[in-house]
Amino acid sequence: MNTRQISIAIPMFLIIFVVQESLVDQFRLPGGGFSLLLIFTLIWAILSPHEIAALGGFLAGLLMDLSQSSSGPIGQWTLLMISACYAVSYLGFGNENLSGNPLGLTFFATSAVFFVEIAYVITGALLGVQTGSFEQILITLFGISIWSLVVTPIFLPIFSRLHAFVFNTRSAI
Amino acid sequence: MRKGSEGRRRLLLIILIVTALFLITLDLRGVGVLEGARQGTQTILSPFQRAGNVVLTPLKNFFSDVTHLGRTRNQIEKLRTDNATLRAKLANRKNADAQLDQLKSILDLAGTAGFKVVNARVISQGSSQSFTQTITIDAGSDAGIKKNMTVLSEFGIAGVVKDVYPNTALISLATDPSFRIGIRVAGSQQIGILSGRGNRSASLQLIDNLTSVKVGDILLSRGSVANRPFVPGVPVGYVTAVDNSVGAIAQSAVVELYTNFSTLGVVAVVVGAPVSNPGDALVPMKPQPTPVPTVTIYVTPSPTPTN
Repeated sequence: MNTRQISIAIPMFLIIFVVQESLVDQFRLPGGGFSLLLIFTLIWAILSPHEIAALGGFLAGLLMDLSQSSSGPIGQWTLLMISACYAVSYLGFGNENLSGNPLGLTFFATSAVFFVEIAYVITGALLGVQTGSFEQILITLFGISIWSLVVTPIFLPIFSRLHAFVFNTRSAI
Repeated sequence: MRKGSEGRRRLLLIILIVTALFLITLDLRGVGVLEGARQGTQTILSPFQRAGNVVLTPLKNFFSDVTHLGRTRNQIEKLRTDNATLRAKLANRKNADAQLDQLKSILDLAGTAGFKVVNARVISQGSSQSFTQTITIDAGSDAGIKKNMTVLSEFGIAGVVKDVYPNTALISLATDPSFRIGIRVAGSQQIGILSGRGNRSASLQLIDNLTSVKVGDILLSRGSVANRPFVPGVPVGYVTAVDNSVGAIAQSAVVELYTNFSTLGVVAVVVGAPVSNPGDALVPMKPQPTPVPTVTIYVTPSPTPTN
């Protein structure tokens, strides 16, 4: 990434984080709602080379750790997001059947959200973070996944264009 | 060339992962800089959250109405009969009135116990992505709020102050999985520990294996040393189911919390408590049936028939 790309990408992540914390979180949506920053970062990772995806994951994870609603130690989301974004990029980047197809991208991003949340629960249990009853965890996991499935197609064109703008790529979904 | 690029990529990944592990280690060891970073983020975000709250309140009210459509059907039927002007006026004032009602009930509750409280509006709900149940209020250390103070709703315990910033405070709700409160049963004075479960029902674990609870028992906060984090005597919830499993060390039960967390608009933080324990004075009264007036008519026949 060059200086221009970094100087555009960082404010982009920050703005989405502020939107998430000040607007999206105002609604107590049933089933836990959705995380715009998580969806954005995973879509970013699918469309990016591995190292850029990991960097994006690092930045988003750090912001998620700094969120007031984060209950785990600072670094937990960072570690998870680096790993998740790298894995997602490894599976999705360059695969035109996936990254070029809005439907495939939506399902891939939603599945990634689901697995990231499961990974958060597991690492949280290892680090001693209270995550509630099994029933409540299931409700939140499926709630967040369903909301992500609903919301991703709405924001996908915007996120895809933002990514294309940063990296000067012509194709945007 | 390709080998070099691959090596650089691996090095970057290792640096990022090591940084993350380093952050986790520092945080678990309680390094203050990281906690300061979280506080700084919240201080920066609070003006945005206030603005977001103002902008989105009408939209939230709309969604709330849609969600509660079934429950408020009678109210809607009644409103339909009102004239258009009155309905518009009510719609505009609905949010303020609801908050005023909540505030009045909170002040009644705090006044009965003699608590000194700071009232605050809820300006943000915490995201559930981390499986936590938190809210942010628009009063902080400038208003005298400190960490680990009791937070009241109109019905009783709402939560506890988790973090304080100059103008805002983060409240851990009683539904949060990490929430724990010592309780006593109103009347029988048995003690136990109540834990949040992520929703409005909490789990109760009695401490003494010789005591028992029954469905309908009312639970009050037991209070803490120097009234922090919990002041004594505040209603918490009531028992809805009792687990009498054979072999359990002590009885456990499911408790329905009094506070309706989905409609929290105004809360009060207890900043001062009286020396005396309010005892059972705050136990919510059971609904009284409305008395039906009975009219008895005595008919006395007149001695002489009238024409």
